[in-house]
Amino acid sequence: MKWPHPVLFSLVICPWVIAQDAAPSGAGTLPVAKPATEGKVWGALIFATDDAAQLTGSQEKPPASLPKLNERLSKVFSFKHFEILGQHQQDIFREYESWVVPSRDLFLKIDSKGPADQGGVNLHLQVWREQQVLVKSEAVLRPGSPLFIGGPKWKNGRLIFVLSLEQK
Amino acid sequence: MKPPSENHELIRWLDGEMNAAERAAFEAQLAQDPALNREALEMQALSEGIRAHLPKEMVVPYGDFFNSQIQVRLAQMEVEEGARSSRFSASTVWQWLRQPWFAVAGAAAIAVISFLTLARDGHQADSQILSSYTPSAQVQARTFHDSDAQATVLMLDGLDAVPADRKVSGLNVHHSQTETEIAATSLYDASGSRLLTISRDSGGNPFFWQTSPRG
Repeated sequence: MKWPHPVLFSLVICPWVIAQDAAPSGAGTLPVAKPATEGKVWGALIFATDDAAQLTGSQEKPPASLPKLNERLSKVFSFKHFEILGQHQQDIFREYESWVVPSRDLFLKIDSKGPADQGGVNLHLQVWREQQVLVKSEAVLRPGSPLFIGGPKWKNGRLIFVLSLEQK
Repeated sequence: MKPPSENHELIRWLDGEMNAAERAAFEAQLAQDPALNREALEMQALSEGIRAHLPKEMVVPYGDFFNSQIQVRLAQMEVEEGARSSRFSASTVWQWLRQPWFAVAGAAAIAVISFLTLARDGHQADSQILSSYTPSAQVQARTFHDSDAQATVLMLDGLDAVPADRKVSGLNVHHSQTETEIAATSLYDASGSRLLTISRDSGGNPFFWQTSPRG
């Protein structure tokens, strides 16, 4: 194969390279450098009720790192049925806030405050219900020890937020 | 005649420590014993002479050193007392150890301690809620750990119920992408479709973008 003349090559390639640098990125394809993280959390919005007829039919399953989740929830919340409405696994960013949004109705904002003694991560949590912050907490989240947040009542049951630190 | 320092009755008489009866009996003895009487008068004169020429109060020379020596001695006495107590305790413990029933009880105690130690080593630390603040006065936050559930609980009481006719829907987020430049996080489902993008508005409240903030 015969290579093009160097001058011709420069005339074609250089403008193309310059254009690539100057051109705006396409929608949804921004070059994203992944920020540093402290780990991952799994967050879920759960509907607890005694009335099976009120379940939404969601088939969401908890991660393997949270075995017997429904059984464990029933130890705290005296309901017969627990249904995962939505779930979200999210990085905990070291420098930026992280949103855990398994639902638009109830979600969390997390700010890392660094690794905790005996494992886990120190967090500042905010539980949001649409445009209202329900609670602000300083917490230590450790793997295998989920946080159950008892939220508002809905229908004849209750909405529960589960937050769990994933094993690294 | 006894040496003056050994005649305690004479010293007590000179120092005025005798009661009336003792003083009367001792002075009767002086009247009958010329040698004792002479010694008593000499001692009395010497004592008065000393009192007359010495001030009533004197600064103790090297008082700090004197006090420190007393403190050192007191510390030594405490150590010696402690050693005596230890010897007593050790002997008492040894007597306990020699009891026949102690072997059985000791073995049981060691087994329990070993079990608890192993259980503790195998047990991971739990999550904790260190503090909570609810901006709304009608909302109360309670925190506790439930051992059966192996979970830490943050219970929010006093929240307004979600209307029963409201459809609470969940999102099944497969992955997310955060654009740090604009502090926005986009959530995607398993097929790669964008579910929503969340960032904060000018008031710091969460804001859901219907379309991508990049357009």
